[in-house]
Amino acid sequence: MNNIYAALEIGTTRTVLAVGEAETGGRLKVTCHAEMPSAGVRKSQILDINQVTQSVKGVLHEIERKQSEAGSTITIGNAFLVVSGQHVKADHFTGSTLVDGRVTEADIADVAESARSMALPKDRELLDIEDQNYGLDGLGGISAPVGMAGRILKLDTVHIHADRNRLEDARTAADGAHLEIREPLFAATCAADAVLEEHERRNGALVLDLGGGSTGYAAYCDGYLASAGVIGVGGDHVTNDIAHAFQTTQAQAEALKANEASAIIAKADVAATRVKIPGSSPLLESRTVSRRALDTVVNARLRELFAVIRETLEEQDLLHRLHAGIALTGGGAAMRDIDELARREIGMNVRPGRPMYVDGLEDETNPASFAAIAGALSYAHHNYAEKPIFGLDRIFKGLFK
Amino acid sequence: MNNSTSSMLLVGIGGAGCAMTRGVTRAFGDGLRYVLADTDAKTGEAGGPFILIGGDRLSGRGAGGDVVAARLAAEDSVQSLDESLEGVRLAIVLTALGGGTGGGATLEVVKHLSARGIPTCVFATTPFAFEGETRQRNARGMMTMIEEAASASFFTPLDKLVGDAESDMAGAMRRAVDTLASGITLFWRLVEKPGYIRLDAERVRHLVASCGRGRFAYVSAQGENRAASIVDALRRSPLLASGSGPVTSILCGVLAGDDLRLAEVGTISNGLREAYGARASSFELATVNDEETFSGRICVAAMLFESPRREADDSKNGETVKRRRRQRAILGTGPTGRGRFNNSEPTIWNGEDLDVPTFLRKNISLEF
Repeated sequence: MNNIYAALEIGTTRTVLAVGEAETGGRLKVTCHAEMPSAGVRKSQILDINQVTQSVKGVLHEIERKQSEAGSTITIGNAFLVVSGQHVKADHFTGSTLVDGRVTEADIADVAESARSMALPKDRELLDIEDQNYGLDGLGGISAPVGMAGRILKLDTVHIHADRNRLEDARTAADGAHLEIREPLFAATCAADAVLEEHERRNGALVLDLGGGSTGYAAYCDGYLASAGVIGVGGDHVTNDIAHAFQTTQAQAEALKANEASAIIAKADVAATRVKIPGSSPLLESRTVSRRALDTVVNARLRELFAVIRETLEEQDLLHRLHAGIALTGGGAAMRDIDELARREIGMNVRPGRPMYVDGLEDETNPASFAAIAGALSYAHHNYAEKPIFGLDRIFKGLFK
Repeated sequence: MNNSTSSMLLVGIGGAGCAMTRGVTRAFGDGLRYVLADTDAKTGEAGGPFILIGGDRLSGRGAGGDVVAARLAAEDSVQSLDESLEGVRLAIVLTALGGGTGGGATLEVVKHLSARGIPTCVFATTPFAFEGETRQRNARGMMTMIEEAASASFFTPLDKLVGDAESDMAGAMRRAVDTLASGITLFWRLVEKPGYIRLDAERVRHLVASCGRGRFAYVSAQGENRAASIVDALRRSPLLASGSGPVTSILCGVLAGDDLRLAEVGTISNGLREAYGARASSFELATVNDEETFSGRICVAAMLFESPRREADDSKNGETVKRRRRQRAILGTGPTGRGRFNNSEPTIWNGEDLDVPTFLRKNISLEF
């Protein structure tokens, strides 16, 4: 039997559970996935555990129903958790070790251990450590130091960590649905794993994961992760702005955003048209709003978001190093003309971030919205493929009951 | 070339604003420090210091009456104004609201000047009634935001400025521009020319910085009873007749030749005070004697300020609490604007709460 993995994303607007199965060629295929609107989540943070538990139960039941229709009776026991929200941070740590003449494999292990031993505050939980490059006696940017002569070997790393309590809330909510959280993973780096090619990482690339409650980013230069983080602004802010501007319900605003709004203010002839808002109840008549006003509200919010990202990259001296441009992922990537606005505001080429290393998502309307969860499944596949019993036993407990 | 060392800068925005500014520069002569800003490159062809607004965005072809496009263009270009701001202590902005560049770019320019710590006094015309409700509504929306961003603002309806329904349209527009330009010229002379009762730029700066919305008019008369005629004209002036609140302070500038008599100054001063100053807490008078220009005539420029300037809240880039409240009231939004994020951990960036709708924080007007 092939290795099988599950990944869960508890987002602000939707909860998604996906199951991936290793194929004979070594690639991974998403064999089944389910999603339903989230409740009890704001800005990627859980505010009502019971409501989130109901959402997780909902996607579990939907997966089981689909599996049952396909002739399977398995029950999912655990899943990798895709994490976002502005509580996720990234810090740079440098490990070091003394070298006896020439760098050996043992020195590499020592310096890696040194970098990984950096303590985080008690309220933080480590999500990931990414190695950058080595330095030897002041010479930096070394990718393979084994055999080089020197005395002090250093390794730069990026530690991605999250608020322990926020992760615990997600575990509690999943546990209520009898789903064990296997390992929390950062959404933006998962998305990058799914959509970036190796040459893009080398030339410098940015992944923007436009979620409902927040926007994660992961910037790569010279083949390694240079910076990552989360801005606490997402598609929900666009919806909220529309609701405020036109005095609509959130549902009406969400429909306006998804079906009518554009990130770029339309040319005069189009902008002069009006957009119909159906009544929020059968007793209320529909009304219209100016398309220009709608686009103006959306444009202002997204321009600001991209300005924040641009400024963040400038502060870290990364903006001019991202020659391969930007890949947009997440539900927000489907927003009309958002790629063009990002190109104008950040000043780079922009492309949609479609998962490249996972099959089974080709027919999705917005495959970029599955990039993070596809990346999480890829991570599981690459890191746990050698332990098939683990995948089967831990993930599909029901199979062995 | 504009090489004045005056600490006051005249800024013309948009086609009409630039035309008014040129009118003032023609009337005033050398020494007036000014800059023109427009989205239409042709405006700059007539010479003088010129800033093309939104060259990249609009290619110098103008905003085509598009308020939003002009505003976005101004956001792109407003930094270009900095080259003209060295030593400037007070800015006078001339513009026309209702549509196009004046309607869209003025707010961004005023906000930029305010952010540079320069008190800004805006003189703006509002559209003729026949121009339609859309332009009227655009102007009304922008007036409120300009009032909040500027130190002092004077909005003059073109209908009142012309006052003659039988005028041909081109003539009416030209007359309106000339009339306002003449008033600004008088104001400029009051500040720049020495008089018996001096009003210098620093005094004006202080007055403007502590004022709010106002009404502005100028009248002139000659002959034996010229002072009484002035008072009568001021009483009947449609530009001073009604405003949005009681007059709290008055600035009266009297410009005349060497034959100006003390009794005439008293008549004008008392007449203006009786007509509009019942509740005014301050009355500032300035006189200029310029025989060459005003021989035999008296010109009076009157400014009636209606409300004191809000206290600035420097913690938000010069934005004021009242402005934010006012803006929310216009748009009918909740008390904080954070909406569904009310109980969430805020996202703060450069001191701004990003959970509050961007268009509210940026004072972006919406054409509903």
